[in-house]
Amino acid sequence: MIGVAIDVGGTFTDCLVMDSKGGLSQFKALTTPEDRSKGFLECLEKAARAFGKDIRSFIGSIDSIFHGTTMATNALLTERGAKVGMLTTDGFRDELEIRRGFKNIRTSMYNLLVPPYKPLVERYLRLLARERTLYTGEIETALDVQSVEAALEKFAQEKVGAVAVCFLHSYANPENEKKAAQICRARLGNDVYVTASHEILPVSGEYERFSTTVVSAYIGPIVSEYMVALQKRLSELGFKGNLMMVRSDGLVQSAEHSRRQAVTLINSGPAAAPTAARFYGGLLRRKNLISVDMGGTSFDVSLIYKDEIPTTTESWVGDERVAIKMVETHSIGAGGGSLAWIDSLGLLRVGPQSAGADPGPACYGRGGELPTVTDANVLLGYIPTDYFLGGEIALDAERSRSAIRKMAEPLKMGESEAAQAIYNIINSLMADQVIELSTKRGYDVRDFALVVGGGAGPVHGAAIAELLGVPEVVIPKYSALYSAFGMFAMDIGREYTHNYMVRADKLDLDRLESLFGGLTAQAQADLEESGAKASDLVMNRTAQMRYAGQFHEIEVPLPGRLESAKDVERVLKAFHARHKELYTFDLRERSVEFRTLSLRATLKGARTLKLVPLARGGADAGTAFKRKRRCLFGKKWIDTPCYDGARLAAGNLIRGPAIVEEEATTIVIPEAFVCTVDKAGSYLLKRR
Amino acid sequence: MKPKSKKSGARGTANPGVKPPPKRSSRRAEADPLTLSTVWHSMQRICREMRRLIERTSQSYLISELKDISVGIWDGEGNTVAIPVGLPVQFIGAKYSVRYIMKEYAGDIHPGDVFLANDPYKGYSCHPPDWGFFRPVFHGKRLVFWTLARAHVEDTGAAFPGAYFSDPYDIHSEGILVPGVRVIERGREMRDVLRLIYNNVRLAEGVRADANAMIGATTMAENRLHELIGKYGMETVDRCIAVMQARTERAVRAYIAGLPDGTYYGESSTDDDGAELDVPVTIRCEVTVKGERMTIDFSKSDKQAKGFVNCSYPTTYSVAMGGAIIFLDPALVEYHNEGTMKCIDVIAPEGLVVNAKYPAPMGGAPVSMGHNILESVMMAMSAAIPARAAAGWGRRYGQYIYGISPRTKGLYVFPGYHAEGGAGAVYGYDGYQGSASVGTLGEISRPNTEDCEIKYPWKFVSRGFRKDSSGAGKWRGGPGFHWEVENLGGDAGVHTGAGQGETTFSHGCQGGKPTGANQCFIVRASGERMRAQVHRLHHVQHGDRIVKDTSGGGGVGPPEERDPQEVWKDVYVREIVTLETAREVYKVAIDQATREIDWNRTRALRNV
Repeated sequence: MIGVAIDVGGTFTDCLVMDSKGGLSQFKALTTPEDRSKGFLECLEKAARAFGKDIRSFIGSIDSIFHGTTMATNALLTERGAKVGMLTTDGFRDELEIRRGFKNIRTSMYNLLVPPYKPLVERYLRLLARERTLYTGEIETALDVQSVEAALEKFAQEKVGAVAVCFLHSYANPENEKKAAQICRARLGNDVYVTASHEILPVSGEYERFSTTVVSAYIGPIVSEYMVALQKRLSELGFKGNLMMVRSDGLVQSAEHSRRQAVTLINSGPAAAPTAARFYGGLLRRKNLISVDMGGTSFDVSLIYKDEIPTTTESWVGDERVAIKMVETHSIGAGGGSLAWIDSLGLLRVGPQSAGADPGPACYGRGGELPTVTDANVLLGYIPTDYFLGGEIALDAERSRSAIRKMAEPLKMGESEAAQAIYNIINSLMADQVIELSTKRGYDVRDFALVVGGGAGPVHGAAIAELLGVPEVVIPKYSALYSAFGMFAMDIGREYTHNYMVRADKLDLDRLESLFGGLTAQAQADLEESGAKASDLVMNRTAQMRYAGQFHEIEVPLPGRLESAKDVERVLKAFHARHKELYTFDLRERSVEFRTLSLRATLKGARTLKLVPLARGGADAGTAFKRKRRCLFGKKWIDTPCYDGARLAAGNLIRGPAIVEEEATTIVIPEAFVCTVDKAGSYLLKRR
Repeated sequence: MKPKSKKSGARGTANPGVKPPPKRSSRRAEADPLTLSTVWHSMQRICREMRRLIERTSQSYLISELKDISVGIWDGEGNTVAIPVGLPVQFIGAKYSVRYIMKEYAGDIHPGDVFLANDPYKGYSCHPPDWGFFRPVFHGKRLVFWTLARAHVEDTGAAFPGAYFSDPYDIHSEGILVPGVRVIERGREMRDVLRLIYNNVRLAEGVRADANAMIGATTMAENRLHELIGKYGMETVDRCIAVMQARTERAVRAYIAGLPDGTYYGESSTDDDGAELDVPVTIRCEVTVKGERMTIDFSKSDKQAKGFVNCSYPTTYSVAMGGAIIFLDPALVEYHNEGTMKCIDVIAPEGLVVNAKYPAPMGGAPVSMGHNILESVMMAMSAAIPARAAAGWGRRYGQYIYGISPRTKGLYVFPGYHAEGGAGAVYGYDGYQGSASVGTLGEISRPNTEDCEIKYPWKFVSRGFRKDSSGAGKWRGGPGFHWEVENLGGDAGVHTGAGQGETTFSHGCQGGKPTGANQCFIVRASGERMRAQVHRLHHVQHGDRIVKDTSGGGGVGPPEERDPQEVWKDVYVREIVTLETAREVYKVAIDQATREIDWNRTRALRNV
């Protein structure tokens, strides 16, 4: 029984294999943007070789694959989604663009100098269906099929790649919307990705529902095409296990289900990173963590406060409202592949453009001529040219040098000076992003530990901590495969919800139970489809509740089946208490409403992750000494001791300046830090 | 390369976290850059959290979903500390309320007290429906902060339900007036006072729930401020605030010093004062830049009016300050405080519509003249700083509908923000499409159609953009709207006081067109179509429809200089401009058959 976690980032595809004893092995390959499944399979081939198996028998022995990908997010942020047609209720085609009056969401009210919103579906592709459902669910006007057909004709003419069907009040009764979606699917065939708002987010509030649905349609074709191809190739190679996708909400779910709800793959990948941070933070008993993940293309931050991974239904991705539940992470274009360039004012800038995997940094020798952060790190001596990905990619320092020289000449800067400037600029950009999420929200970063992941992260982690004044840096053993590691620590499962709007004093306990019965059956069916036993499921029931008249709910856990008025009383008490905890007051005299029932179904026991502990050693790391290399720290070139990460033992202590060469990353320990190796194999850097 | 730490002004503080702090033990003694930044941003975050708490817990549609809410923090002397989010008219100048309460209750203010003010003349609120709860925050015995949570409540006990009835006799016809009165003393509710207040409003149970939400927000703010003080020490927090205010002042002074000295003029009228109908009332504004100071002078504005459009000085101050701030350096947007205000004087002589004498009514102040004050400042500032020019927005065209809901058998009040057009253009960009109501600077949200249908006995027939409704320009305004709703309930009243712009318009800039006319009709079930003008009270019956067609925002720059490709997109992609307008106004000829720009004819039309 083998478990595999694969995280396809912008530059690298990370693969972590867990064998039947819980041992982990790591593999990396370059991401192949034209067909991401290639890099995916290359990783598996490497793993097969390492396990001494041919690819078919290796893949055949895999029990489950957990998969995260930045594809959905990238498609949205880089505007490479499909041309979408929107079919919507006659009279309301502008709801998407009016967007409830929200300006660019990250703009202060005092800033009017912002460009107008550019909708994902322009007005000429927002077409009208004659139909009307009322808020009660009553169908006032049945769907006029002709109006749908007229729209489809236009969609076909315009060659849209996806259609979003978005009708008013479809959460209350999806009949019209369902029918329209059916017609679209029948007419447009498999080439066009069709999705309907009740399938994506069946709750009231058309702007939020429509926007989320349109985002899902926009990225649907790309995501869908990829997943179909991937599943096909895996099954050709004899894969019999489950392909599970990391979802925005921090749960893991079957590939087929995710394909139909493409929007749930926004942030897939990065959504796993906080789980990794919390796992390692837990080993060190730290509850306040800043998780940073620096790969080749992007830098993701999330803040874990008091051990809680924050989720929200109030996300904006780029300039789009995405109202499904999501793990809160923030991302900027900063990574090892970020390009250094000179702007119109003659200033040196780094990112957000990235050389990605192809052509990659100049030192890869794959045709990249522009200098990147990785090239700077090579020139500074931080990254070994002969041990990048364990020596798999030989780096050409001369190419780095000439790329940086070309850029530095007009600035009248030396090569090393320019390399250091690139290093410092990217660190400041990343530190600013952390401030955005911590200091600017009133958290004092000095109360946090910085958990650093991503292939490029450990080269920069201590420098970022120094800029921020964070006292402690944790670099996990598998930091280079940070999100992939997090996937092993995530729960498999899904949340199921049903509307049940009723005042607490009119609550019908039988109806409540039968609704939960329905959700439970659905959860069991889904899990069985993915091969798990129903008895392994952990079911947690919650209700979204509010005081009568309020517009927003609080989630209250339900203790299983409610059998008596006393049970209801207990739930109400919990609601009042939670309201008071969150908002400083309660309104006990006011009546309480139930709004939505949720069932969170997760697999029990399957995900206990135990690391094989590292052998113990003394403080002296001498046995792991590998060589010395000249590195530039501050203004000095220092003959810096380099250690072999694979030979370090728990308890080893390394004073900066020093370098640890791991197979998949390099840890830079500046002068001001002391590093200890803990028994999980993590590096703990503290300011001296 | 060392990260930038600019010496001049507050800009450098946007990024102060980049220097290593001193050892932890010395944190109490002095404010290192990281502590300064954390304290500064904590103030902003507390405000945002307050506003969010009110949104999450209130039961009024206007408050929870449309966010008619403002919050802020002032220091123990009533100087502004943090005002990051709200509706300008409600809070930017709320220091006047704080100072009023401090004077009125001098020596008698205690930890755990909460004061309520909604009287435009005493304790200050722009109009009576905006209830503000003020909580003093103590450190030991010392009063160190004030927090405010203010929102527009569903009813304030005036002659009619809702708000914005345009022809009141005086301020007393506009609701119960609470002049900065203690409603909670040392944590204990003043039962007698509250009973008296709630006995004088309709929908009292709901208003009370929303009052609890506001009070809860001030409690939360007090807790957060205590945490902050506990962590860094009062001395450090004091010093951080002093530094924040001083740096902001320096930066704003430097910015004003960079503007060309001179006097810049702006004006704006509303259709009428609600009492004397169809006679416009006008704000005239002179912005004088001289060295490091700026003066906004409204002395030439009209006399105070008989109707409901009058403003108090704090109202005028709040809006004028907001209007100036949006033209300052965008790098400062997160930081405005008393330091900003020290550089800008607002002159509004008593007896004018910008500083009316008791008992003039003020129910319309947030929209008319509040919006007009803002428009006049924007117009003058656009002249002072052409590269930040901002045209007027689609004018507010709201309504308050009240009646008995057949669903609940109780009174309902159905507020607006449905149909007013989008933002005006700014130099460099077309106007934002969705933003509603310049007086809120876009902080108000528009309602979801579904939510309204769930809550009120009205069915929405349609809502969407109107073609050719934007003020044209090189950069055009966001479009206006068409909005149509049908009454499913019984007889209902419709106040149109929260609107303007049928006969008066907001400015365009640099040759861009001003806003156009708003229009509203009541269409009877019989088909009869009646004009429903602003600043009046109308009546509707079951089956009647309300139909609004509104103007979008104004334009910046001459329309014939607009990029022809953008005009083409406006016609065929954004579908908000007709071929005729493209030709007649934008001087772009498009061949209808091929749908392509006829460049030769376009050049001829544009004389180039």
